[in-house]
Amino acid sequence: MLAGLAGEAEPYRRLLNELSGLLRGFYARRCPPGVDAEDLVQETLIAVHTRRATYDVGQPFTAWAYAIARYKLIDALRRGRAHLRAPQEEADALFAPPELRGGAEAAMAARDLERVLADLPERSRALIRDVKITGLSTREAAEKHGMTESAVKVAVHRGLKALGGKYGGSDVGED
Amino acid sequence: MSAKTDDLIQSLSADLPKVAPRAAARRVALGLSLGGAASAVLMLAWLHPRPDLAQAVMTPMFWMKFGYAAATGLILAGVLTRLAKPAARPGVLATVAVAPFAVVALMAVGRFVQTPPEAQHALLMGHSSMLCPWRILAIGAPMLAGAIWAVRGLAPTRLMLAGLVAGGCAGGLGAAIYAIACNETSAPFLAIWYTLGMMALAVTGGLASRLMRWR
Repeated sequence: MLAGLAGEAEPYRRLLNELSGLLRGFYARRCPPGVDAEDLVQETLIAVHTRRATYDVGQPFTAWAYAIARYKLIDALRRGRAHLRAPQEEADALFAPPELRGGAEAAMAARDLERVLADLPERSRALIRDVKITGLSTREAAEKHGMTESAVKVAVHRGLKALGGKYGGSDVGED
Repeated sequence: MSAKTDDLIQSLSADLPKVAPRAAARRVALGLSLGGAASAVLMLAWLHPRPDLAQAVMTPMFWMKFGYAAATGLILAGVLTRLAKPAARPGVLATVAVAPFAVVALMAVGRFVQTPPEAQHALLMGHSSMLCPWRILAIGAPMLAGAIWAVRGLAPTRLMLAGLVAGGCAGGLGAAIYAIACNETSAPFLAIWYTLGMMALAVTGGLASRLMRWR
């Protein structure tokens, strides 16, 4: 963690890797029914990352990280399972392959999709279209747009999250 | 699913700016300073500093009022910084926070028993006792907002406690600003009405602790 605070990527990546294993164990036993434990693992990793300034040098790292994990668990229980799952899933459903849906429904979904995407900035719209609809790999999209792969992932993730926040309904106004 | 998590870890560790030391404490200080500036403007525009401020700063009573409030506020700011972090305990500092009150309470009792009975009522009530707690509540409110803003950007895991402490901290610092406008001069008044104003903000902070939720 100390290396992470100092900005060293490699030891930090290893730390997050190990931590994700611990978190999987933590949530496997405690995760409320209907909540995807892996979602909680990811949320906790993001929180560990974005809130890493609250880690005190010399404090046991696991105690700190588990306190965040507990908070995230309580947060998930508080919001109820629907709230936790809805945004990402609804956004994902829009991108499901057409054969999984009926013809009329597919047309409607396509129209909705265009309308929804129009809200996003130009670049993330193009990226989401390439990665999620056209089916380019992250690498191909990265080459096409002259970005790094991780930048593409982050942009797509943020775009989907923005859509989820906007159309998930339940999440709006909480933050 | 796990592959997604690996991707996430990859992108998180790709974006890794250095973290400045004591970043959390600095954020709390920033929030309180911004709130404090607003509180000071409110005091200056609404209540105005007491006209005899230049003489008042020569008296021990002024510094007792200011010191009691500011010391309580600053100690609680330290406690708040701890509570803004996961797995935090309030620590001994939380016990220390009652020390200024203990000193003031002792002096208040001493003063009170030495006062003839017919003057005791005035000693307790001063001339602004019905206004004092409310004014402290109003002047401390921007500081509470600043404290909540700071803490919700960190990672508190005991929200109710953090809310109470944020309120107490804003109450102490707000009361210190109010002391510049207030011309009461008795220790018993201070022990009762200032403390009540601070506690009102602490309760407000507790009630507002939901605002400290973070994702």
